[in-house]
Amino acid sequence: MSLQDLIMNLQRYWTGQGCYLAQPYDLEVGAGTMTPDTFFRVLDKRPWRVAYVQPSRRPTDGRYGENPHRVQKHLQFQVIIKPSPADIQRLYIESLVALGIDLGEHDLRFDEDNWESPTIGAWGVGWQVMLDGLEITQFTYFQQAGGLDLNPVPVEITYGLERLEMFLERKDDIYDLDWSADATYRDLRFREEKEFSEYNFNQADIAKLHKMFAFAEDEARALVKKNLLLPAYDQCLKCSQAFNLLDARRAISVTERVKMIAQIRAIVTEIARRYTTVGEEA
Amino acid sequence: MEFLLEILTEEMPPDHVRTGLEQLAEGLGRELAGAHIAVRSLKTYGTCRRLIILADLAEAQESKERVVVGPSKAVAFAADGSPTPAALGFARSQGVGLDALEVVRTEKGEYLGRRKAEAGKPAAEILASVLPGLVTALSFPKTMRWGSLAFRFSRPIQGFLCLSGGTTVVFEAAGIGSGDSTIGHKIHDPRPLTVRSFSEYQAGLRERGVIIDPEERRAAILAQIEAKLEPLNAKLHPDAALLDKLVYDIESPCVVLGSFPKDYLGLPLELLSTAMREGQHLFSVVRDKKQLPNFIGVADARQDAASLLVKGNERVLRARLEDARFFWEQDLKLPLSKRASGLKQVVFQEKLGSYEDKTLRLKKIAAYLCDKIEAANAKEDVVQAAELSKVDLVTELVREFPSLQGKAGGLFARAEGFPAAVAQAVYEHYKPVGLEDDSPSSLAGAILSLADKVDSIVGIIGVGVQTTGSSDPFGLRRNALAVCKIVLDRKLSFSFPRLLDKVLAVYGDRLTRPAKEVRAECREFFAGRLRYIFERMSFRYDLVNAALGPGFENIEHTFLRVKALDKLKASPQFEPMILMAKRVNNILRNQPPAKVNPDLFEEKAERELYSSVTIIEGNVRPMIARGDFGQAQTILFRIQPTLAAFFDKVLVMAEEKKLRQNRVGLLQAIARLLLEVADYSQIVVEGERSEKGADIRPKA
Repeated sequence: MSLQDLIMNLQRYWTGQGCYLAQPYDLEVGAGTMTPDTFFRVLDKRPWRVAYVQPSRRPTDGRYGENPHRVQKHLQFQVIIKPSPADIQRLYIESLVALGIDLGEHDLRFDEDNWESPTIGAWGVGWQVMLDGLEITQFTYFQQAGGLDLNPVPVEITYGLERLEMFLERKDDIYDLDWSADATYRDLRFREEKEFSEYNFNQADIAKLHKMFAFAEDEARALVKKNLLLPAYDQCLKCSQAFNLLDARRAISVTERVKMIAQIRAIVTEIARRYTTVGEEA
Repeated sequence: MEFLLEILTEEMPPDHVRTGLEQLAEGLGRELAGAHIAVRSLKTYGTCRRLIILADLAEAQESKERVVVGPSKAVAFAADGSPTPAALGFARSQGVGLDALEVVRTEKGEYLGRRKAEAGKPAAEILASVLPGLVTALSFPKTMRWGSLAFRFSRPIQGFLCLSGGTTVVFEAAGIGSGDSTIGHKIHDPRPLTVRSFSEYQAGLRERGVIIDPEERRAAILAQIEAKLEPLNAKLHPDAALLDKLVYDIESPCVVLGSFPKDYLGLPLELLSTAMREGQHLFSVVRDKKQLPNFIGVADARQDAASLLVKGNERVLRARLEDARFFWEQDLKLPLSKRASGLKQVVFQEKLGSYEDKTLRLKKIAAYLCDKIEAANAKEDVVQAAELSKVDLVTELVREFPSLQGKAGGLFARAEGFPAAVAQAVYEHYKPVGLEDDSPSSLAGAILSLADKVDSIVGIIGVGVQTTGSSDPFGLRRNALAVCKIVLDRKLSFSFPRLLDKVLAVYGDRLTRPAKEVRAECREFFAGRLRYIFERMSFRYDLVNAALGPGFENIEHTFLRVKALDKLKASPQFEPMILMAKRVNNILRNQPPAKVNPDLFEEKAERELYSSVTIIEGNVRPMIARGDFGQAQTILFRIQPTLAAFFDKVLVMAEEKKLRQNRVGLLQAIARLLLEVADYSQIVVEGERSEKGADIRPKA
C-alpha cells in the first residue's frame, strides 16, 4: 500500500464514520491540532466530526534529508470527534484493521502520554499508540483549549502517516517509501527537506523573524479587538511559525522562550473566550 | 458469599491502577464494616484495563434488636398490676398481645416496651447502594472527563461487572449500568465473557488472553526473560521501575529477544539503556556488566511466531540509536569548557539567575564543604566537577534525553579525558533522587550533590517560593531528604547553621527575604525532613523530639543523639533519670537565670551535687564534641542518685533569696548540660503517656 493509498483508506474509513473531510489548512502549522478545524471547533458545545491530512512543520527536526526517520515537514492525519464516542478506541483499532494490519500478529499498546500545547493553552489526557514499539498515533481526550474547559469532551486521533507507512511497507528509510506506484518519497520530498533544513538552521534571518513575530502579534491584538477572531488566530499561527524558526536557529534563550509562548497564549485565550461568548450570542 | 467487582476501563497508568485498587479495598472494607457486613477475606487484582476486587462476605447484615418504647410502667399498670387502657392500646398499635410486651429500663426509668429482632438487609442490597459512591470517590494523580459527562476518572470507564453470590449487583455510575459480563484481551480476543463466579471469570479471561493477577504476570515475565537470556549467559541491566510498569501495562506477556548492530556498542551503556527504555520500554542486556548488542522487550501478545514483533522493534531501535549516536558525536565536537558560556542563557530561577550563576555558587559552596569535612584532598576535583556539572544542560543529547542530565555530563567529561573522580562526581551529582536511591558513590560526588541541593533550597526559600503539601515545584523536599541521606550515609559531621550562613553569604543580595527569616525557615524545613527520616527508621517519636530538641547544629550528631536515646531507653537508669530531669525543669520554670557561688552552699547534699556536676561536666564535654552521645549520657545518668539526695535533703526554694538563687543556679547549670545531649522533657515515660502522647510538634 502506498502512502497515497494509506491516506485514501483513512479518508474512506473516517468519512464512513460520519466525519466531514476537511482539506489541509493553508498556513504553516506545527501540528494538525493548531488548525482552525480543530482549535475553534472544539471550543463550543456543538457536535463535530472531521478528518483531514495536515502537513506539519517542525523546523528543528530537519536533517538535510540525511536521517532516515526525521524530517522537518511530515504529514499528520487528524480526526476530531466531539463528544468523544464511548467506543472510540474500538473505532480506532478497526481503522488499523481496515488498513490490512493483522493485529493478532502484532503488539498494539496504548501507552500513557498526556499531550499539552502551552502556546494555544491546550492539554489533554491520553496515550501514544505503539505498534511493535513504533509510535504511530497520538490519541488524546482534550480537556482544555484556549485556556477553557471543554465540554463536551472532544477526542483527537493523530496518525503519523510516514511512521505508519514505514510500518506497512516494513522499510527502514522514509525516503524509500512509495508515495504512489511510481513515485517515492525521495522523488517528491528530498530536495524540499534539504533546502528547508539549510534555511531553518542556517539562513533564516533572525532579526527579520523577530520583526515578523512582532508584526503578527500586533496584528493579532488589533484584530481581536475588532472581534475578527479567525483572522486574529491566523496571525497567532504566524507568530508560532516565526517562533519555531527562531528556535531552530537557537536564537531564543530559555527566558525568552517562556515569554514568547506566554505572549501568544494570552492572545489565543482571549480569542477562545470571545469565540465562545460571541458564538453563543449569534 | 463471593463478591466480585471489575471496573473495565481504557488503559490506565500503572500508578493509577495501584492507587485505585488500594482505595477500592480500603473503601469497600470501610463501607461494609459500617453496614455491619462481615468481611471474611478481601483481595485485589488488576491490569491497566481492569480494577478487580474479590471478597468473601456475609450474606446479610448482622440482625439487630430494636426496642419500641411505649407508656411508662406507672401509666401502663394500675396499682393492682392489671394493664391500663394505655398498655392495651400500645399492644394493639404493635399488632401483638400483651404477653409479647415487657418492662424495659431506659434512662428515664421503667417503661413498657417491645423487643423486635430486625433481620439485616441482604449484602447485595447494601453493595448496590454503596458502590456508585465508592467508584465516584476514587482519586487519581490526574483525572479526566470524556464524552458529555461531568464524571472524572483516571481514564474512560467501559463497564462494570459485579456479582454477589453469583447474582448481578445492579448499580449505575458514570452513566454505565453494571452487569455480569466483561470482554477478553482488547486486541487479541475481545469476545464477551459472561460469568457467575470468580473462578469462571479468572479462567474465562485466561482463555481470552488475560492474566488478571499482577504477581503471576511478573513471575511469567521474569521466567520468560530467564529462558531467553540463559543460552546467552547474559543478564538484564536491572530496571525495577520499568518492570513494575510492564507488569501492569501488559495483560498477556510475551517476551522477545532482539538485537542491534554491534557498531552502536561504542556508545556508553547509560545512553544505550536510556534510548532503549524511553519510547520502546526495552531492557538492555549485559554480560559481566558489559552491554551486549541485544535487548529484551515485553509485548502484549500471545506469541511472536513470525518474529514480526522482534523485527519491528529492531527497526525502531536502530533509528533511535542512530539519533543517539548523532547527538553524542555532535556534542563531543564542542568541549564542555567551550560550551559552558551557554549556561548564561538557561534560567535556574527567575530571581536567582542563570545556571552560570548557579555554577559560580556551587564552586564556592563545594570548596567550603571540602574544608569543613576535612576533604582537602578532594577539593580540586570537586571544584572542577562543580564547574562542569551543569554544562550538559546545553547539549543536544540532554535536550533529546532529559533523564540523562548529570549522567551525560559525566560521560562527556570522561570522554574528554577529565580525571576519573571529576567525571564520576558530575555523573552522580543528582543522586540520590529519593530515599530508596543510593547516595553518590564517591566523596566528590557526595559533596557536589550536597552543595547543589543546599544552594537550591536556600535560594528558593530565600526568594519566597512557598513549598506546601501539594506544591513543591523545585522539588525542595526531595532535595532536603537527599541532603540528610548523604550526610547520614557518609557520616559527615559539620555545622549546618554555618553552612547555611555560607550559602546565604554566597547569594549576597540576590535573596529577597531577610537572612534571619531564611535561616529559620531552612532549619525548620530540614528538621521536618529529619523527623520524617528518623520516624521512617522506626525511632519513637518522642525520642526524635528529644534529639531534635536541642536545635540541630549538626545533622549527623542529631542522628547519633536519637540513636543513643533509642539504645538507652531500655536501661534501668533511663526512666528515673528522665523523671529527675523533668523535675529539674519543672522547678526551674519561670526562674530568671542565676549564678552559682560555691561559697554559699550550706548543705552537704548540695556541695556533693556541685562537685559531682563539675566532674561529670568535665568528662562529658569531649564526648559531646565528638558525637559520642551514648557514652555521654551513661556518664550523665550517674548524677541521678546525687540529684535525688539533693531534692530529699535540700529545700531549693529557700526563704533567703541568696540561698535560693544559688540553688536555682546550680540546677540551671545541670539543665543546660543535659540539654546538650537531649531535650528530656520531650520524652514520654510510663504513667504520663496518655497526656503527652498527642504532642508531637517539633520543638523549635
